Amino acid sequence: MHILLIVIGLPIATGLAILSIPARTKGLREVLSILGMAANLVLVSTFFGKDIYLTLPWAGGGIDLSFRLYSFNSFILIAAAALGFLITLYSASSMYGKGYSRLFLAYILISFGLVNGALLSDNLIAMLFFWEGLLLTLFAMIAVGNKNAFRTATKAFIIVGVCDLVMMVGIALAGHISGTLSMSKMAVPMTGMGGLAFLFMMIGAISKAGSMPFHSWIPDAAIDAPLPFMALLPGALEKLMGIYFLTRISLDIFKLEMHSWASTLMMTVGAITILVAVLMALVQKNYKKLLSYHAISQVGYMVLGIGTMTPVGIVGGLFHMINNAMYKSCLFLTGGAVEKEAGTTDLDKLGGLGLKMPITFACFIITALSISGVPPFNGFFSKELVYDGALERGRIFYFAAVLGSFFTAASFLKLGHAAFLGKLDSRNSKVKEASWYMLIPMILIALSCVVFGIYNGLPIDRIIRPALGNAIHGGHSFAGFPKNMALVAGTVVVLIAALLNHLYGVKKTGKGLGAVDHIHNVPGLSWIYDKAERGYFDPYNIGRILVKAAALILSSLDKIIDFFFSNVVVWAADTTGLVIRKMHNGSHKMYIMWSLVATVIVIIFLMRTM
Amino acid sequence: MTNKILLLSCVFIPLAGAIIAPLAGYISTKFRNALALAAISASFIAAASLIPVVLAGNTITVSANLPLGFNFILTADCLAVFMATVSSFICAIIVLYSFGYISHYRNQNEYYLMVVLFLGSMMGLVFSANLIFLYIFWEITAIASWRLIGFFREKRDILRADKAFLVTVFGALAMLLAFVLIYQKVGSFDLAAIKLYFKTTPVPDIAVILILLGILTKSATLPFHTWLPDAGVAPSPVTALLHAAVLVKIGVYVFARLFIVTFTPSEIWHTIIPALAAASALVSAGAALVETDLKRIIAYSTVSQIGFIFLGFAVNNTIGIAGAMLFILMHGLAKGGLFLCAGIVEQNTKTKDITRMGGLISTMPITALSFLACSFSIMGIPPFGGFFSKYMVFSGAVGGGNIYITLAFLSGAVLTILYLFRLFNMVFLGESRGNLAKEGSATMIVSVAVLATMSLAGGIYIIYPSSFVAVAVKQMVGM
Repeated sequence: MHILLIVIGLPIATGLAILSIPARTKGLREVLSILGMAANLVLVSTFFGKDIYLTLPWAGGGIDLSFRLYSFNSFILIAAAALGFLITLYSASSMYGKGYSRLFLAYILISFGLVNGALLSDNLIAMLFFWEGLLLTLFAMIAVGNKNAFRTATKAFIIVGVCDLVMMVGIALAGHISGTLSMSKMAVPMTGMGGLAFLFMMIGAISKAGSMPFHSWIPDAAIDAPLPFMALLPGALEKLMGIYFLTRISLDIFKLEMHSWASTLMMTVGAITILVAVLMALVQKNYKKLLSYHAISQVGYMVLGIGTMTPVGIVGGLFHMINNAMYKSCLFLTGGAVEKEAGTTDLDKLGGLGLKMPITFACFIITALSISGVPPFNGFFSKELVYDGALERGRIFYFAAVLGSFFTAASFLKLGHAAFLGKLDSRNSKVKEASWYMLIPMILIALSCVVFGIYNGLPIDRIIRPALGNAIHGGHSFAGFPKNMALVAGTVVVLIAALLNHLYGVKKTGKGLGAVDHIHNVPGLSWIYDKAERGYFDPYNIGRILVKAAALILSSLDKIIDFFFSNVVVWAADTTGLVIRKMHNGSHKMYIMWSLVATVIVIIFLMRTM
Repeated sequence: MTNKILLLSCVFIPLAGAIIAPLAGYISTKFRNALALAAISASFIAAASLIPVVLAGNTITVSANLPLGFNFILTADCLAVFMATVSSFICAIIVLYSFGYISHYRNQNEYYLMVVLFLGSMMGLVFSANLIFLYIFWEITAIASWRLIGFFREKRDILRADKAFLVTVFGALAMLLAFVLIYQKVGSFDLAAIKLYFKTTPVPDIAVILILLGILTKSATLPFHTWLPDAGVAPSPVTALLHAAVLVKIGVYVFARLFIVTFTPSEIWHTIIPALAAASALVSAGAALVETDLKRIIAYSTVSQIGFIFLGFAVNNTIGIAGAMLFILMHGLAKGGLFLCAGIVEQNTKTKDITRMGGLISTMPITALSFLACSFSIMGIPPFGGFFSKYMVFSGAVGGGNIYITLAFLSGAVLTILYLFRLFNMVFLGESRGNLAKEGSATMIVSVAVLATMSLAGGIYIIYPSSFVAVAVKQMVGM
């Protein structure tokens, strides 16, 4: 069997094996899942630096099962596999003994087969096959959560599934225009239908990444789904895949111009996503939900960075993607550790856990500093690159990004303060540090955030630049400390402002959780917050209402048609029958009348024909 | 010679079986059931063993010359064999399921007679290469469906059966007029002669309209579709049969046979038919989102999906045609599965109202999972088979060049996801709002599980059906 097929097939086979292990055998499925993910990591690590191409016949009509391994996807494969391995290790421990752990672990493995397939595919339909297949595990992984999780699972399925369908049509359009479905051979102009094809494929890509307006299932899933799900999919894998594909379509398939409408559109989507999502994150009172809004907000930086279509922005966007996958999944894992030990993620009931869970707290601090863009952690460097690109394209995008950073820092100050500092709640007096199986993944990821920050040349020069190729970055290196000191100064000002804001809020309300209440309570803003919390602005809810209305109209059309068949036709038949019956009443006069009318008609006919 | 016997047995074993089965019912019900299944399975095996023959590029013809162009001709080409194999396979599963479902009702002899006759006439129809015999078999299916829809003898059921019969026969008579019209021009009902004649002469639009009336009524397309949801009063295996295996697929089959293989209607129809199909797909999808009757929802879903098949056939490019053929296969498997699952749910909960169901996944897990798998296939989610057929139809539509029609179908596909999820959640998930009924009988569960598995296998092993379809399409468009 070909090595690329093994990489797809092995995780799926392991997943199916886990499903078939009898429920009473303890420990075996955990071991099997960890081994499966380890094997996956080892396999994809051997890919680094290789170019492999494989084509197998498939469904015909240009749809073949073709794969291409090269520098770009091999680095994403490794990132995904490494995070996946650590999160599986964590899940096997944190879920041990739970009824759904068998299902969940199996779904992780199956998802990885699909992720590997989607990343390796060169044929767009092969890619879509794996990419859209992830809907099944997405649905299943959320649905195993609590009793109402299936509603969230349905919401996630519908949002992502509809976007995948849109992308399917986009692929059909692009394939029709370029005459091939092979990504490495495609070249689609952005004119006419090509523009529509790009838009549709972009919707598929950014919806996978969780960008606005396709985001609203993520905060719901934070509450309903098992926590490792959040760390794995919305935290890491979906960003990697969505941004990978966005880069591929923007640079390879459509070759966007810097000042095209598509570029501006992407930047706008990115900027709005950054700001709106972070403002929602700011006021959350639940550890997991707060993180979930950041999972959305951070996508904005990546979409903005790639949308700039400047070399520095693209490199920054990709670097941010990899950084975010690390710190965001680690942040979710700290949330999971807190949930497991304290039994809740409600910030009202937390506080003072820092001393009880020092290692978790330390990991939280490192990753929170990373996401807030504090030097020398990795998030700082990627954000600076994105700022640089954004500023090149327009001040407004830069300001949106920087303002986003202010709120990001403010909300993490609040979160850290509320959960780990302050007074220990009496209910949490028995809380202890999480198990080592859970801590090791967190420590490793947190350490990589430091390494990727200090030695940022490693990911940028060794991985991202080779992946993009010389044509994109022109041989220019973006590693090292940011060259543009004005940008750095701006960042420092913003971070200090966030700290001052925090101190002000804490002083005013007397507790960490209240640190941003003064922003929350701004007149007007508080009204918007209130409505947003109730789901008034949720595109999914709005869409549901619109679809409902459309369905009612369509269905009444159907009723009208049915009325025609069931009533009008029946009435017409009855009436005709009645009229004809009345004409046959046996009266001579009636028959004479008939004969007269017929004679007149014949005469008229004859006169006309003569 | 053996091929000719195979072809004849495809058609005549079920026709003969239809007569013998009810007689056997007077001896033993088990014997009758076995006989009915054997007749249909034999037809399936015969059709399936023709696959390698037609794949090699051969067509098999059996003919008996009759005067006045009424020659009785059966021809097996790729399209016919494909259709026959799909229909008879699904029909065999449905008959297996019927053993459990129908066993508590009266008039079982009539039931098996009509089901086997239904398949036999369907087989006759797909292999007929003569318009008159095509018409005759077409009308036999109408009679069989009329009796089957009215299987329960309530007044409402009889009225609904009459409605189905009257609408489809109205269409068939219009189609017959078109056949006469064509006969006047060509002087023969022989499809080969007709094909030859219309190579140089355009087909009169009036004939196209009249044939379309027949096709659209049979395939339940807007504005002639409302009899199909109403036919949901029939026993569930019958509805499965109508939707998945035989009845509504007749229309699309004849569409392919006449409008693609035999002659090409003028350019304007490549826009009118997709537009009509789009309207049909949207209106019925909207209705499916509003209805609360389990079987009516699935029935509207059929109307909606038939629109996709018409779209694929009507856009006049190879990938669209291939997509439409795969769609027939995938939709048949999945829709058959959905109706059979619905039958289990309906029979055990004693209701069809989805607002009085819920939480059934806990008591009928296999039915629920099969239902979900079939729904995924209809939504077009990989790795289920429906994914490929949906993509190919979209690809064909894009190639057809009309972006508005493509977007209308995209909305239709979105609505498909919505109504199927609504249905699944209302029936199987959440809190129970009625009684938590038990799982169906063994044969019933096996039947739905087989169809669900086939829907999955259809996607994973897409290479087999798609390579067959590729050959078929080449033959159909005469490349």
